[in-house]
Amino acid sequence: MDVEDVLSDVVSMEDLKKFEKEYHNQLTTGTVSQETKFHYAWCLVRSNYPADIRKGLILLEQLIKHEANDDDAKRNYLYYLALGNSRIKEYSTALQFIKAFLHMQPENMQAQNLLVTIQKKMESDAHKGMAVAGALALGLSAIVGIGFALSKNLKK
Amino acid sequence: MRRATDASLPTFGTMSSKASESKMSSSQYSYIFKYIIVGDMGVGKSCLLHQFTEQKFTADCPHTIGVEFGTRIIEVSGKKIKLQIWDTAGQERFRAVTRSYYRGAAGALMVYDITRRSSYNHLSSWLSDTRNLTNPGTVIYLIGNKLDMESNRDVSYEEAKQFADENGLMFLEASAKTGEYVEDAFLKTAQIIYECIQDGRLDLNAADSGVQQKILQCETNPNVEKDKSCMQC
Ligand SMILES: Nc1nc2c(ncn2[C@@H]2O[C@H](COP(=O)(O)OP(=O)(O)OP(=O)(O)O)[C@@H](O)[C@H]2O)c(=O)[nH]1
Ligand SMILES: [Mg+2]
Repeated sequence: MDVEDVLSDVVSMEDLKKFEKEYHNQLTTGTVSQETKFHYAWCLVRSNYPADIRKGLILLEQLIKHEANDDDAKRNYLYYLALGNSRIKEYSTALQFIKAFLHMQPENMQAQNLLVTIQKKMESDAHKGMAVAGALALGLSAIVGIGFALSKNLKK
Repeated sequence: MRRATDASLPTFGTMSSKASESKMSSSQYSYIFKYIIVGDMGVGKSCLLHQFTEQKFTADCPHTIGVEFGTRIIEVSGKKIKLQIWDTAGQERFRAVTRSYYRGAAGALMVYDITRRSSYNHLSSWLSDTRNLTNPGTVIYLIGNKLDMESNRDVSYEEAKQFADENGLMFLEASAKTGEYVEDAFLKTAQIIYECIQDGRLDLNAADSGVQQKILQCETNPNVEKDKSCMQC
């Protein structure tokens, strides 16, 4: 429950199932309403599974194309496109979306906060990446060392 | 103007300054309380959150997209508590999905605008969502916002107070613009939750209690004296 920011907020299985069912029901009976599609996409981009998030991003891109003339709606979709992309670590794409949002509405605090959150996440992931690379290098030298010791033993 | 204070409440305070807050390691608190803020669009939910977390007011605050998130560490009866606040969007288009944020809230701030009667009339609908989607133990605080606009008042204090009493809600009027009584709303909610934990009315082990107890990790902050609250150290 210790959520630090909007990026660590995860959808409940119950919600995901509920809105997925609604979406699929509409798919089979005919047309899917924009609303239902958005609800489902909102759940998907907050999933823990990258495949879900990617699916949500596709839906959001469909929505944004469909409502290109509605600035309000467009900003909502841009916000979730940025959020979803940063949750699968596609940071540069995420930054493009949130910057597009801020281009439309520069003073929006919520979007500014998301921008800062994405930038922080990017930084901390870069550090983690370096730590992992360091650990790998250490592990590798250990293996080489063991191999070396073994070969010395064998030669005796 | 009226103030809804209760002298019998235990003392409370916030961190003395921003600096002391940032110096603290993030694990230096005993509990996390989850809050939600609900109510019609434009009543000032986000402004209340920003006033509380950043002591800022934005005159032209755009509509919230889905939910916004904020935190602040406060102190109740000498215990540090981290408030995790979910500010929900009031626009109808978000209503279906913001409902999922009610789950597991220990405190719910239900806001209306004292200058807009329609926002007050919709309270019963917000209240029924809050009651249906939270626990019986969730503390619900009714807030009449925009107290600074007294001359445009559309809902009297007495009327709202009666509504609150009839429904067993805490109530006060506040202004996110001037900051008046904003702290009170957030802090009193925390006090009540804390009292419920103390006297056992709130079961921390229950799923979705909205309260999480933290084990303090002293080793992360060498400057902090080890004390008896750090049982793990
Ligand atoms: N005078 C005055 N104006 C306020 C106060 N609180 C908020 N406002 C104004 O009311 C408008 C709406 O405030 P918000 O905080 O965005 O409202 P909200 O409830 O978050 O709205 P949604 O996000 O759409 O649900 C903004 O333009 C604020 O500047 C207040 O206490 N006094
Ligand atoms: Mg808002």
